[in-house]
Amino acid sequence: MRRTLLWLIPMLCLWLVPAFADDSSFPDTPGQDPVQSGEQIYMQICQGCHMPAGQGAVGAGHYPALGGDAALAAWKYPVLTVLGGRHGMPPFGLPATSLALQELRTVHLSDAQIANVVNYIRTSFGNHYPDMVSEAQVAALPHPGRR
Amino acid sequence: MASDSGQDGLTRRELLRRVGLMAGGSVMYQAMNSLALAAESPWKGPTELKGAPPGASVLILGAGMAGMTAAYELRNAGYKVQVLEFNNRAGGRNWTLRGGDRYTELGGETQHCEFDPGLYINPGPWRIPYHHHGILSYCKRLGVALEPFVQVNYNALLHGSKAFGGKPQRFREIKADYQGQVAELLAKATHQHALDSLVTREDQERLLESLRGWGALDSDFRYVAGDVSGERRGYLKPPGGGLTARPESGTPIQLDDILQSGLWRGVSSGDHYDMQTALFQPVGGMGRIGEAFGRELAGLIRYQAKVTSIQQDAAGVTVHYDDASKPGVSQTARADWCLCTIPLPILAEIPMNVGEQLGAAIGAVPYASSVKVGLQFKRRFWEEDDHILGGISYTDLPITNIGYPSTGFHANGKGVLLGAYIWGLNAMEFTSMTPGERVQKAVEYGSQIHPQYKTEFDNGVAVAWHRVPFTQGCYGMWTTEARARHYDDLCAIDGRIALAGEHASFIGGWQEGAVTSALDAVGRLHQRAVAQGASA
Repeated sequence: MRRTLLWLIPMLCLWLVPAFADDSSFPDTPGQDPVQSGEQIYMQICQGCHMPAGQGAVGAGHYPALGGDAALAAWKYPVLTVLGGRHGMPPFGLPATSLALQELRTVHLSDAQIANVVNYIRTSFGNHYPDMVSEAQVAALPHPGRR
Repeated sequence: MASDSGQDGLTRRELLRRVGLMAGGSVMYQAMNSLALAAESPWKGPTELKGAPPGASVLILGAGMAGMTAAYELRNAGYKVQVLEFNNRAGGRNWTLRGGDRYTELGGETQHCEFDPGLYINPGPWRIPYHHHGILSYCKRLGVALEPFVQVNYNALLHGSKAFGGKPQRFREIKADYQGQVAELLAKATHQHALDSLVTREDQERLLESLRGWGALDSDFRYVAGDVSGERRGYLKPPGGGLTARPESGTPIQLDDILQSGLWRGVSSGDHYDMQTALFQPVGGMGRIGEAFGRELAGLIRYQAKVTSIQQDAAGVTVHYDDASKPGVSQTARADWCLCTIPLPILAEIPMNVGEQLGAAIGAVPYASSVKVGLQFKRRFWEEDDHILGGISYTDLPITNIGYPSTGFHANGKGVLLGAYIWGLNAMEFTSMTPGERVQKAVEYGSQIHPQYKTEFDNGVAVAWHRVPFTQGCYGMWTTEARARHYDDLCAIDGRIALAGEHASFIGGWQEGAVTSALDAVGRLHQRAVAQGASA
């Protein structure tokens, strides 16, 4: 149930939120089916900014490289970052039916999906952190939009 | 309860946004205190700052619409103005890609735009609504010629991948048939006395008459095939002249089919305040505004300057930057005041000594994911075959839009259209692809709507805004909650530093937001500078 809602709701509701600089009043349908594996989520969402090999990028500002990032040593840091976003990075832990999700035009990932993608990042790009994050551990952390 | 307050916030925000647009952003704060008055205020014309304190200087970070609006006004007021810009061109997101242009995105992929001469795509803003008085007034003052931007074309298409067997429908037919049958339903309800408790008898007569006109109903208040509905939905065989002239009516699409198709969603796109006719575009591409501003401010803008730190003290602001033409050597600029228009994802990573509140606000605005794809075709088949001259077709495919050029109608040779304008998850996916893959996907999806794509495609460019080196995102996205908590802090002057840009406006993602935010900020900065100048 939650997985079905996950992609549908924000898309269907897009046209309700005014003031966007485009007029995609049509709910566009996902080009691919929702994915679960950490690698797939990384390739679908994260690598747009953090790049295919997790190398990050530098322009006027920068996207941090994920390979060898000491901040990943403690699992809570990446989980909280994915949940709540950081600076320009959108949050992915907003409730699937929240107004904020529509307003930010971002995507809801389930706790399991977040655990998967954080585990993928912490064991890829030269990272070898052995402690796996569980769905329950993600669920126990503060989520944006929850009171 | 949470949703109630959210709805209230949205409504109030929308109202303020509209007031801000009508009255000009510089009076938005006054407008908040006297809504009725402001709503009736006409555009007061250009800001005319005068009387800078002798020798006073302002350092402006960013030569986009906000930065250059500020530079223009502050220079005219007598300030010593200097602008630092990361790119080697003026405009920022006001940007047009033309044949011969080269663009390197984050990650290092370089695209060479191979469009024919005169053809272009605007990766950022591409239209200006009639009520964006600020940006329009700078077009006028800078001599940027405008032409109509066709937003609504009744002959453009609405496409649902699972509706009508995937066959695109003409906007005209969906709109007329939807509206006509809704009017017929309402007329029936009126006749059956379902509205007796809501509408007086006299007004019911007027309502019926208006429904007949609005919905193109016949004398019996029915929406049926024939001349009356044909004058809205068009004809199977349109009327003409001579012996082949006799028109033939088409059959209206049934309401339940329209409702189930979801295509009714496309009917109101041109009714949005920001999309209402008339809209405009600069002749030659949106980037003409940035180019004109750049010429006007020649000598004041230092290009290829990457800001690395912003430090204020009691007397002024010092900015360190790397000059791309002199790598490894940090340069310094200093002024009494600083107006910073750097997009927030980039600013958030730059060391800067501002108060906790402004610091928190800078870090609280995620940027939207969006992708635009420009496609060149060997001929303008949308005009030649499909008789669509300008306007936009909408689809539920990830590309969402096919935008036909509002210029060069009937030109021989090649043509460029907007092949995709993507948001949300789909934009994140497209951003993750290489530029070549994005173009290829846009062609694949678009060929479901225009089969000519397969044989006529020539080349394309794709800009994913999260990969744009100077913004790292399309524009600032505010939640109602974040705006309530941080927006005023973001706009407030912090010591000697003020922020401006679309992110500091209620018109996110629009150039008007950048312009009105800059006018508002320089007005307040000027007041403060004058007050200090007098006391010094």
